[in-house]
Amino acid sequence: MKLRTLFLSTGLALLGLGLVAPEAPAQETREVVLKLWSRADRSGPLRAGNIVAAADQLNRMLAAAGSEVRVKIDLFESNARGYDADALDLLKAFAVGKGPDLYVAAHEWIGAFVEAGYAWNLEEHIAAYPEFYDDMIPELWKSVEYKGARYGIPQDTEIRMFFYNKDMLRQIGKSEEFIEGLPEMVNRGEFTIYDLVDLAKEVVDAGVAKYGLVHRPNVGPDFQMLLASFGFDPYDEEQGKLQASRRALNDFYDWLKYGVDAGVIPANMTSWSWDAVHASFRTEKTAFLKHHGIWNVPPQMKEFGFEGPEDYFRTIGWLNSPPAKKGGRPANLSHPIIYVVNPQSENRELAALLIALASQPYLNTLHAVSTAHLPIKYSQLGLPIFDTEGWAVKAATPMLQYTTFMPNHANVGQFNAIIYKGVQAVETGRLDPKSATDFVLDELVNEIGDEVIILD
Amino acid sequence: MAVQTLEAPAGAERWQMLAVRARRRRRLTDSLLIGFLVTVSVPIILPYFWMLTISVSAKTGGVESVVLWRASGVLVPAVVAFGLLRLFVEGRRLLWGGLMIAAIALVALLLLVGQDLHAQNYRFLWNPDIVADIRGRATAEAQFPSVWVAFRNSLALAVTQTALVLTVSTLAGYYLSRFQFPGRSGFLQGLLVLHAFPAMTLIIPIFLLMYWSGLLDTLTGVILVIATLELPFAIFIMKGFFDAVPWDIEMSAMTDGASRRQAFLQVVLPQVKVGMLAVGVFAFIKGWEEYVFVRTLLFEKQNWVMSLYIFWVSEDIMGVDYGIVAAVAVFYILPSLLLYIFCQKYLVQMTLGGIKG
Amino acid sequence: MAVRQRVNALIFLGPASLLLFFFFIAPVVVDLFVAFTDMGRTLKVTEFTTENFERMLTRDRRLSQTLAITFVYVLSTLAVFNVTFGLILALVTTQVPDRIGGFFRAVWLLPRMSPSVIYALLWAWVIDPNERGLLNQILMNTVGVGPIDLMNDRPMLLIVLANGFIGASMGMIIFTSAIRAIPQHLFYAAAADGAGRLAIVWHITLPAIRWPLSFITVYQTLSLLVSFEYIWLITDGGPFYDTTVYALYVYKRAFENGQYAYGAALALVLVAIGIALALLMWRFFDMKRLLQQPRIEVH
Repeated sequence: MKLRTLFLSTGLALLGLGLVAPEAPAQETREVVLKLWSRADRSGPLRAGNIVAAADQLNRMLAAAGSEVRVKIDLFESNARGYDADALDLLKAFAVGKGPDLYVAAHEWIGAFVEAGYAWNLEEHIAAYPEFYDDMIPELWKSVEYKGARYGIPQDTEIRMFFYNKDMLRQIGKSEEFIEGLPEMVNRGEFTIYDLVDLAKEVVDAGVAKYGLVHRPNVGPDFQMLLASFGFDPYDEEQGKLQASRRALNDFYDWLKYGVDAGVIPANMTSWSWDAVHASFRTEKTAFLKHHGIWNVPPQMKEFGFEGPEDYFRTIGWLNSPPAKKGGRPANLSHPIIYVVNPQSENRELAALLIALASQPYLNTLHAVSTAHLPIKYSQLGLPIFDTEGWAVKAATPMLQYTTFMPNHANVGQFNAIIYKGVQAVETGRLDPKSATDFVLDELVNEIGDEVIILD
Repeated sequence: MAVQTLEAPAGAERWQMLAVRARRRRRLTDSLLIGFLVTVSVPIILPYFWMLTISVSAKTGGVESVVLWRASGVLVPAVVAFGLLRLFVEGRRLLWGGLMIAAIALVALLLLVGQDLHAQNYRFLWNPDIVADIRGRATAEAQFPSVWVAFRNSLALAVTQTALVLTVSTLAGYYLSRFQFPGRSGFLQGLLVLHAFPAMTLIIPIFLLMYWSGLLDTLTGVILVIATLELPFAIFIMKGFFDAVPWDIEMSAMTDGASRRQAFLQVVLPQVKVGMLAVGVFAFIKGWEEYVFVRTLLFEKQNWVMSLYIFWVSEDIMGVDYGIVAAVAVFYILPSLLLYIFCQKYLVQMTLGGIKG
Repeated sequence: MAVRQRVNALIFLGPASLLLFFFFIAPVVVDLFVAFTDMGRTLKVTEFTTENFERMLTRDRRLSQTLAITFVYVLSTLAVFNVTFGLILALVTTQVPDRIGGFFRAVWLLPRMSPSVIYALLWAWVIDPNERGLLNQILMNTVGVGPIDLMNDRPMLLIVLANGFIGASMGMIIFTSAIRAIPQHLFYAAAADGAGRLAIVWHITLPAIRWPLSFITVYQTLSLLVSFEYIWLITDGGPFYDTTVYALYVYKRAFENGQYAYGAALALVLVAIGIALALLMWRFFDMKRLLQQPRIEVH
């Protein structure tokens, strides 16, 4: 009796022990936190989102490998108004030691960040991972170069163009051949930027359109695109300084005045609101030409009520910025947004890797198609989604061969602002082109000092 | 039967006539003055009303005015009709008349603009992803700020800042009003001069000071800065109110044995409630609209305030929907408006002190 | 007793003094320091130099224009709106029946009560140079005048109007309460003596608000001198530099161009001008009444 009780109780005790015995210790996760700084941008939420997705992907791989490390992204979205303000915020944050590990920035600020010591040289990283970077569109690398080395990874780019209304040309009696062949004529250098204004004048004089040409009503890269048509090269590669050609600038302002005097460009263009600009291209009878970018295509579809690409291209066509003289080269500008790594971060290698993961074709395509930006890798164009939803982007990619970028110089923001002031002065008639040129060059020297070279 | 004509004494008749004439003349001048006021006030009322109509009717994201004019076409005659009614009718009939006008106006509005109204522009209230219809599934988490976070932050900022301004300025105003101390005139002169300090341009030094004192990137720091900027004005106003309180009250309280502080708290303070209300309202409004210092002095994630939210919504580099902007604006202005309507009566009683006769 | 009085002084005046010193006086001192450096966007100081002042006096072409614009702007807004129109509004709204007067005062306080961002947005929509702008719609449909472009053709008028609407409300409130404080029996006596409405205003109302008038003039002058928020939001300095007042110019140089040290130097000048003006007006406008001898104690 006693023995059976003993066995029973021992057995029960062992069972009980088995039930309450603690399980084998669970895998403890070790978190590596990376701070990502991005701007809260309605037109590009996936710029930051793709990094988060990349971290997620990495975590899944780590889990599969049995590692206890997990990567967490601490996302900070600044509420700056525009990338220039955001860059200034970033510099301030870095200055007080609150900088992030990696960040999203507009490419032209890379110079400022490198000079201040907040951008990591990625040459080694790029060389170490050809799997990720080999099929990047080569022209895009130029946008992240500063003094001969690459300090960022392009995240996206866009293309800016002149939208022209084909229906209006039909109404003034132009042939289909002419209308459809216009982009090619521009690319071959047979149709100059003055011809464009004359064409617009025809349309306006015939009463078919109210405005000949509308452009952006505030500071922006668009004007560098127009300047490129006049042979204006804003950057001296060797010295790493900005430069301004007096002659080209004067020619550009002359052209603007020509456009205003012809009644093609409204004199008060620079005080329009964006709302007015978009509204002016909305339906028939308002604006013939609109200088804007590829991201405007989805809203245009909605405003005009188009159903698909055939519908769209029947009415609207795209032009590069025509050369100023016959036989010249057309110009285009794109403005890539880039990822940059903080060299003082403890996890800079990891940050760079996350960027590489975020740049995979699938993730980048999600961003590109939904926000009408261009893909960064040729391989992306093969994806079927670029034929269905991303047709606009696919059609625009060939224009990249004429593209230029803004110089990656620390003072390019001021450079643009001053040139824009000149645009405003000339269009409103406050200064004539020569005085405007003098004023702009004067201000450039005043503000940027010896970081800008004045040519002729 | 002879007709008896009642003749009032000649003097009384003449008084009667004069009174009627004077009343008529007064009404005429009053009408002219009111007409003048209406004319100068239209430029203010119209745009705000326009903003409201845009917020409930804009579809393509553009700034339209069709609904505005139609609605005005109904509302203006309605208001005028009501005004005329008030001149001739009183009491119960006025009430019925007013209700009838309101009903007719409502029906007319429904007919004219009813089908154009929608609440889609207010979708930011329940869905932070305001570009979902354009961008589709292009959002990851925490991509778009929520208006409620901004609202909460703005509220916290404004309320705390108001409390601080009220406390500090009331204390200082009382002391300046009652006590003569060496340097008093210098202090007051200094307060006036401080008004000439360009606060916004002193942002960089303030930024540096906050950095060196460790207050950078804290809500406390921002509140302190904003509150301080309101102080010169607030102290002047409170001092004016304290000046208007006769000192017999506190003197009698002190002879009854109360200390100065107790006299201040229990006797004098209730007298300047109106002043405190006025200062509080102005301080709240200032905190509610603040954006410069919030942007400069804060770095953390939760630093969205209403003003920054509306900046974000109205960013127009890649297209903006002005219907949503108008809706956010209406939502943003509502608290200030409500506060102001309730306290309006007291605001016009602000004095500067030293105005007796 | 002396201790208690000192403690009282600390409790009552202490917080205000502390805050005002730390956030008004100290920044100016720091500003003085920064103005002699070369601080840029990176907040790093590498050298001390008087280059900023040199630049201000010799190389800055915009400065004189900015000062002129500021002068015109302050004077016009003050004279037309803040003082005059504020006075008119106060007088008119106190003459008409009280409910109606109160309503219009409420309307005129609306601009001041709304967040600045919204006020600026509304102005932008109203003055749009195409037919979409409210102003143009009214002008074109009632008076038949073509679309006008306030921003481009009359930017100074625009900023004076925009700031004036805000400024008039302050004067309106102060003057109204001053008028309300006039004892009623004075009005009755004057009416009994046969004075018409206009005479009453001239002889009784206006003298009573002489002191608030002075205060508002001084106070608003200083306000207008240093504030640029609405100008910044509506015209951003105007087409070209047409409405860039001095305070806005300082801000732009410091923040939009990243030249913090130069901005600090410019700001110093503004502070100096402001102080000089304030002291001048103190003498001229009999501001001593602000001091109004306190009733009770002497330390």
